Amino acid sequence: MPTTRAHLISASLALVAAMSTGREARAQHQGHAGMAMDSTRPSPAPNSLHVMAQAIPVVTRAHNTAGRRDLTEGYLAQWVAMGSGRLLQGHVLFDVTLNGEGLTLRRGELSTGAFGEGFVDRRHPHTYLHELIATGVGRAGALGYSASIGRGFVPFGTDDPMMRPFEKYPINHHLSQILERGLAIGALRLGPAILEASTFGGDEPTSPGALPRRDRLGDSWSTRFTVLPFTGAELQASYANLRSPEQPEGFGLDQRKQSVSGRFVSANGKRYLLGEWARTDERDRDRDIAVFGYETALLEGAATLGPIDIGLRLEQTERPEEERLADPFRTPRPASDLSIAGITRWRTATAAVAFPGATFGPLRGYPYVELERLAASSRSPTDIFDARQFYGSPIWMISLGVRIRYGVMHPRMGRYGVALPGGPTLHALGVDPRQSPVHVGH
Amino acid sequence: MRRSPVSLLLALVAFGAGCGGDSPSATGPNNQVNPCPAASSPANAMTVLGCGDFKPKRITGEIYVHGTMGYSTTWNNASSTSALYVWDVAANVPKLVDSVLVDGASTLGDVAVTPDGKYLVVATEYTGGSIVIYSLTDPRKPQFVTRFSNAETNPGVHTAEIGSVNGRLYAFLCVDPAGTPAKLVIVDITNPAAPQQVYSRYTGAPYVHDTFLRDGILFLGLWNAGVAIWDLGGGGLGGTPSNPVDIGSVQTANGHVHNIWWLKDPVTGSSRYAFIGEESPGSVGTSSSGDIHVVDVSNMAAPREVAFYTVPGAGTHNFSVDEQNGILYAAYYNGGVRALDVRGDLGTCTAAQKSSPVNQSVQLCDLSKMGRELAVGLKDRSNPVFIWGVQFLNGSVYASDMLNGIWKLSAVSR
Repeated sequence: MPTTRAHLISASLALVAAMSTGREARAQHQGHAGMAMDSTRPSPAPNSLHVMAQAIPVVTRAHNTAGRRDLTEGYLAQWVAMGSGRLLQGHVLFDVTLNGEGLTLRRGELSTGAFGEGFVDRRHPHTYLHELIATGVGRAGALGYSASIGRGFVPFGTDDPMMRPFEKYPINHHLSQILERGLAIGALRLGPAILEASTFGGDEPTSPGALPRRDRLGDSWSTRFTVLPFTGAELQASYANLRSPEQPEGFGLDQRKQSVSGRFVSANGKRYLLGEWARTDERDRDRDIAVFGYETALLEGAATLGPIDIGLRLEQTERPEEERLADPFRTPRPASDLSIAGITRWRTATAAVAFPGATFGPLRGYPYVELERLAASSRSPTDIFDARQFYGSPIWMISLGVRIRYGVMHPRMGRYGVALPGGPTLHALGVDPRQSPVHVGH
Repeated sequence: MRRSPVSLLLALVAFGAGCGGDSPSATGPNNQVNPCPAASSPANAMTVLGCGDFKPKRITGEIYVHGTMGYSTTWNNASSTSALYVWDVAANVPKLVDSVLVDGASTLGDVAVTPDGKYLVVATEYTGGSIVIYSLTDPRKPQFVTRFSNAETNPGVHTAEIGSVNGRLYAFLCVDPAGTPAKLVIVDITNPAAPQQVYSRYTGAPYVHDTFLRDGILFLGLWNAGVAIWDLGGGGLGGTPSNPVDIGSVQTANGHVHNIWWLKDPVTGSSRYAFIGEESPGSVGTSSSGDIHVVDVSNMAAPREVAFYTVPGAGTHNFSVDEQNGILYAAYYNGGVRALDVRGDLGTCTAAQKSSPVNQSVQLCDLSKMGRELAVGLKDRSNPVFIWGVQFLNGSVYASDMLNGIWKLSAVSR
């Protein structure tokens, strides 16, 4: 109901404002860059600003991509400017991420198996205003709390793939993260336990310039529970209830999403491991029945071995197949009727090697190579979409690129306020030895 | 069957070792050698006369039969060129005699022949949406006449029904939403070589999916906005094709209004019922859902749903009605073809003959409980079927099967 949504948003804004001025509110977040601060730290925090920019020129060769094609393409991917910081002695935090992919990835990034937002076998460009979040932080005794509002990541699932050791996103991006939504989040932290709850608009972006629809704000919700059992380790379980993500007017199928994951990062960021399972069930709201389900499991890790970083990712993800346009990398949006052409099960193995960085003035470049082997098969023998026929076999991708960066990479993406555990940036993403390996973020 | 997280992670680890060894998938339906063999037949099975004599490399869409010739479209083609197949259906076994390639279309979803049998009209999707008109001077070899498209049809024409109003011939184009809302476009094709758009309107939520024209009254399937009824000249409200006037509307249970058939029974004289197809979610080739809703339109300003028909595990698609015998044939995707007795009073039944549509509390007459299901077609095949369209004509029923081509069945007798 619009009035209820408006009240929710108003209440969230008021909470952010109250936290920024409340006498009990204490700064919980340290300065920035490279290591997310553990928000249980009771240290004061001066105002600060951290800015970082990145761009990845990448060339990808795909063998047996959509329509049994072999393609070689190059792009400027993941070019972003990220700012974060705190005001009012740490009582108010902000995160902003601008993403330029809408200018350089208009046809999407070649990535066999990828899907979402009308793209298939290409990763869609993200929105120009990727993230703009204001957070108020406070504490009552041992209990830390925060409230966030803006556009950004819904508290669900795992970190955004951009902050993980592979340039190519996993296929499960749309099963394991919910992003670029207009939202309000409340978070509590007590010792090693973190609880988040959010309300947001379920509509996913329809173009790089799209903003969340006002009439959809507050029609969806999520919750995430996280435990930090020991330093560097993190376990989370989350659930989300989305209304019609793929049909902006709200007439599409709803989604119920579940995710559990475990994550470990060593204190120096040189060892990383993530295991996740997630499931999305699509529901016909009118008939109140589940109609399609997609499951994913992913295991990935990275380690620094001398001057290089290596990463390995194994993934099994189920993907809906939809009618394709004359361009085989696109599907109608909104989809025609409510049907799909089958469900394809993808299995992938990706290996990545990142090489030592080099400095160019204020910029630093980190070259890398990724090799991915994929296999696709129809989940049901009666599915009309025949993955073997459409792709052929084997399916390979190899990518060469350079992470070009100004400033220090943010350590995490997808959590705000007291829900952001401390920890370093992954070394595999490139760390500038001229700067302190231990930085603090929020 | 759901897998546990642990088993999936173990499968991933195993995959890491065996990534290079793709196991072949199960043979898909398009690789079937012979779709015709029958399995055991239920007592009320419709008699199958024959099936199309080709192993389709393309997915079959709609079918339209005129005289002894049939025309079937293809859906979700792998290129921007789609095929229209031409069949000789005079014998029991339909024979493929020709095909027509249509450029700039990945799907040809709808096809119809003008009432005089002289022209064939095909709808094309997506970007560059249009209708293509062919001459049937030689019905075995359709000849291109013209292609109509403009900025309003550009997102894609999902369906294109043909009908006459006051002596002029019109095509009713349901245009896909794509950045702009769905739209109905009415085109005067009295001169097929020079189609003229006479009307357009944004409508539907989110689709305007299909139309049905009879006696100057147009029924529109508006998905979650239900069914609308417009006067185009036969409703007495002064409407015309270029200036339709709203008569009434109705929301049927669970929305998803896909198609309509307004029945005029020549034997009883009744024109009381419209049959509404609900297309709910499905996975092509595997599953489908959606019921048939019976709407009493005796007062078109206030239509009301009085009955429904449901098939567990399957959903309806397009209809065709043998009006002389009062039998409705419904394509039912994985549920084959369903033949229903639709003559007489469908809105009066005993309490024991009532049910509620799924997720509804209202009690309606249930055609199954009323014994209105006369026969089931193509559920007795040894291979799965997925029936998109059906057409009754001259004692036969023709069905388009997304998996297997086309079928010819004997019509049901009362």
